[in-house]
Amino acid sequence: MKRVFRLEKIFIAQYLKQTMEYKADFFVGVFGVLLNQGLNLVFLKIIFSQIPKLDGWSLQQIIFIYGFALIPKGLDHLFFDNLWAVGQRLVRKGEFDKYLTRPVNPLFHVLVETFQVDAFGELLVGVILLVMTTGTVHWTWVKLLLFILSIPFVTSIYTSLKIGTSAMAFWMKKSGAISYLFYMFNDFARYPVSIFNNVVRWIISFIIPFAFTAFYPASYFLTDKNIVFNLGGLVVISIVLLFISISIWNKGISAYESAGS
Amino acid sequence: MSSYLRRYRPFIVAGIEEATVYRSNFIIYLLGNTLGAFVTYFLWKAVFTSSANSSLNGFTFPEMVLYIFLSFFTGVLTSSDSSTSVGDEVKDGSIAMRILKPINFAANYFYEEIGNKIINLGLLMLPFFGGIVAYQILGQNAPAVNWINILLYFISAIIAYLINFYFNLCFSFTAFFFRNLWGSNLLKNALVVFMSGTLVPLAFFPAVLQNIFKFLPFSSLLYTPVMMYLGKYSPKMIVSMLFLQIFWLVFFIVLSKIIWYFAIKHLSIQGG
Amino acid sequence: MAMIEVSHLQKNFKKTTKAPGLIGAFQSLIHPQYQTFEAVKDLSFEVPQGEILGFIGANGAGKSTTIKMLTGILAPTSGFCRINGKIPQEDRKNYVKDIGVVFGQRTQLWWDLPLQETYSVLKEIYDVPEKEFHKRMDFLNEILDLNEFITSPVRTLSLGQRMRADIAASLLHNPKVLFLDEPTIGLDVSVKDNIRKAIAQINHEEKTTIVLTTHDLDDIELLCNRIFMIDRGSEVFDGTIKELKGQFGRIREVEFELVDSNDGAKLDYSTLPVPVEIRQTGNTVVAKFDDSLVSVPNILKLTLAQVEVKDISVKDADIEEIVRQIFRKEAQEHEQLS
Ligand SMILES: Nc1ncnc2c1ncn2[C@@H]1O[C@H](COP(=O)(O)OP(=O)(O)O)[C@@H](O)[C@H]1O
Ligand SMILES: [Mg+2]
Repeated sequence: MKRVFRLEKIFIAQYLKQTMEYKADFFVGVFGVLLNQGLNLVFLKIIFSQIPKLDGWSLQQIIFIYGFALIPKGLDHLFFDNLWAVGQRLVRKGEFDKYLTRPVNPLFHVLVETFQVDAFGELLVGVILLVMTTGTVHWTWVKLLLFILSIPFVTSIYTSLKIGTSAMAFWMKKSGAISYLFYMFNDFARYPVSIFNNVVRWIISFIIPFAFTAFYPASYFLTDKNIVFNLGGLVVISIVLLFISISIWNKGISAYESAGS
Repeated sequence: MSSYLRRYRPFIVAGIEEATVYRSNFIIYLLGNTLGAFVTYFLWKAVFTSSANSSLNGFTFPEMVLYIFLSFFTGVLTSSDSSTSVGDEVKDGSIAMRILKPINFAANYFYEEIGNKIINLGLLMLPFFGGIVAYQILGQNAPAVNWINILLYFISAIIAYLINFYFNLCFSFTAFFFRNLWGSNLLKNALVVFMSGTLVPLAFFPAVLQNIFKFLPFSSLLYTPVMMYLGKYSPKMIVSMLFLQIFWLVFFIVLSKIIWYFAIKHLSIQGG
Repeated sequence: MAMIEVSHLQKNFKKTTKAPGLIGAFQSLIHPQYQTFEAVKDLSFEVPQGEILGFIGANGAGKSTTIKMLTGILAPTSGFCRINGKIPQEDRKNYVKDIGVVFGQRTQLWWDLPLQETYSVLKEIYDVPEKEFHKRMDFLNEILDLNEFITSPVRTLSLGQRMRADIAASLLHNPKVLFLDEPTIGLDVSVKDNIRKAIAQINHEEKTTIVLTTHDLDDIELLCNRIFMIDRGSEVFDGTIKELKGQFGRIREVEFELVDSNDGAKLDYSTLPVPVEIRQTGNTVVAKFDDSLVSVPNILKLTLAQVEVKDISVKDADIEEIVRQIFRKEAQEHEQLS
């Protein structure tokens, strides 16, 4: 375990050095994320200019859900973004070879290799939104603790989905599209599930459980209801998902074909 | 003309072949985009349910449904990413392989993309467009099918595609400044999605913004064709909107030539 | 026990087959067709510790695929390999601690960072102790001349510098087995020379077992004790260079230095039952012949009887010539079959 942190530290340091070689990139990345999130908020504002409440939820509450969603998403983006490269490039071009010839777990190696500073944009917006809407929640110490504890589990859902879908590349050569498809489901997660029809609701709750990355846990903090389902479900689902995705990944590695050279 | 086509045919074929090699990939991408459309659909459905009015900013719910799915269809129809690598290729010198051939540099990418599009649209046309028309015929209170509007839509959408192609070509030269194409693309896409009306019809914006957005090139990329389909423009408006589109098309063609001229000069000085 | 033990190793790839052009593209869109392709067929061999094995074969023969199986990157379709007592695919993490790998066409260096940063990351990955690391870097610096570019970002290195850096990276953790896939590809003569010397020195000083694939037959001649040749995935030859020459090396050359260059015209081998090819440049005459049909002493006797000679050298069969011959023969057989 000590070695894990040591390697993580070293890789982050290396990655930061790399990033500093291209300073303009850092700013365009962070600014891109900020703008993207900002425009999403304008979109919410426009929608709420037409109606007082969306299916019973106020703008403040929706923004809280939104802000909550951004924190784990940003963390996953910050630490584990290299998984995209597995699905897009590393496997198809045979660059994945490198990870297999090193005495480190390949998944771990892939995960720690990048440190995507763009994600600070998401984290920043997330924190700002949460602070802005913190009044909508009746905070207690227990709730605050649960709030903090839920973040790693949510992050793990994001990361697991990325691990599982990018591992498909071991069979398909290129699986960026699948990861993308999964990510599109992510958009559902930011709104109250009650606005969707049953099929969609079921999918985002149990198949591609993005509803647990934002709406369910956030709705517990907002309404104090259904802790067992909203938070207990989160824990169960994130553990199951991590387990499934790691076994897909391990199967994938033995199916890896490299690339002709 | 036929010799012209013969010269570019290989590029079209290459585009088609590439599209088929990763066929599962683009079917999945399409599914992803469709999902996005459904999120928007459910959201607006909830908005219309929560609202006391039956029409918002001139859009009835059935019109909004058409708007959502048409804007996604138009997005796919007019999408253009073949040229996004031009800037990169110029920067690292690999463009040399392309400009050695005695053909227009943009045509290289253009025809490859046409090949790609043939496959894309072949797959997409029936389910999507058929679905839209079916909704118009069967849906309650849905606007009736109007063939003239459909024709206008396709004319406008094709111009929109061309604008998008040259716009992305120009944009690709930002590769000279950034290596992080993910970041700069995110930046561009966020702006385009917003100002082209993909996320929300421009009619929902405050009047000041609406007027600004109307004359920026982005509304020509999506809002204009979709509004033509919905029959929201008077004949006079239709003509002026088409002219505006053509203006932007010419603008980006000229701009791309200018940028190209300087980029190539840079290339020959730097030696690639 | 042998350091490397390979038994009936086989690798099949599934390939999509597609008719050319548009029609083919559409066909494969609707109904893709697959075909099994045997990239490596039933290879068996052993390599004792400290040997340098030269793995040769034409492009696409299956060399890289074999190396990838030996290094644990690819899982064999059937058969197995055991190296340093371990099966790479089963005990991967432990196994790779003791091997070094270089793929000449790829790099494992961090592209945007100064070279020495790569080494300090690798030091952590391989858990090399600080003291050991410095000693090792000094040694690698000395044999591969890294000092002149160790502070430059990797993307600015020339191909030759990059290759030296990559080889050093693969040696940092003092591996027992080193796999080099085309380590001299695209390099100029002096860099090749430097790299060969380094490989020989590593092998000599540390008894490192080395498997080396190459197109460059000088590499083989200067470095390898033993050659393993494959073609279209199958073994065609396994043995020492001497055996290769003995088995296939019938063409020999004898070089004479004449006292008087005009004597060249006097030379006449028509009394021999086989043709002898003569080449003259200045005072030097080279006679080329098949030594299974006429012996070297015979040629010498005949020559000395006809002209006055200052110096004689008998050249071994050129390995390049032999390999060319084998491939030509193979190609002919192949043509006849199909
Ligand atoms: N990942 C792969 N998928 C499919 N075919 C491959 C793959 N890797 C190699 N091949 C095929 O296997 C054969 C042997 O390739 P390789 O081992 O790279 O040859 P060499 O290194 O001897 O030039 C080639 O015909 C190549 O096309
Ligand atoms: Mg090879």
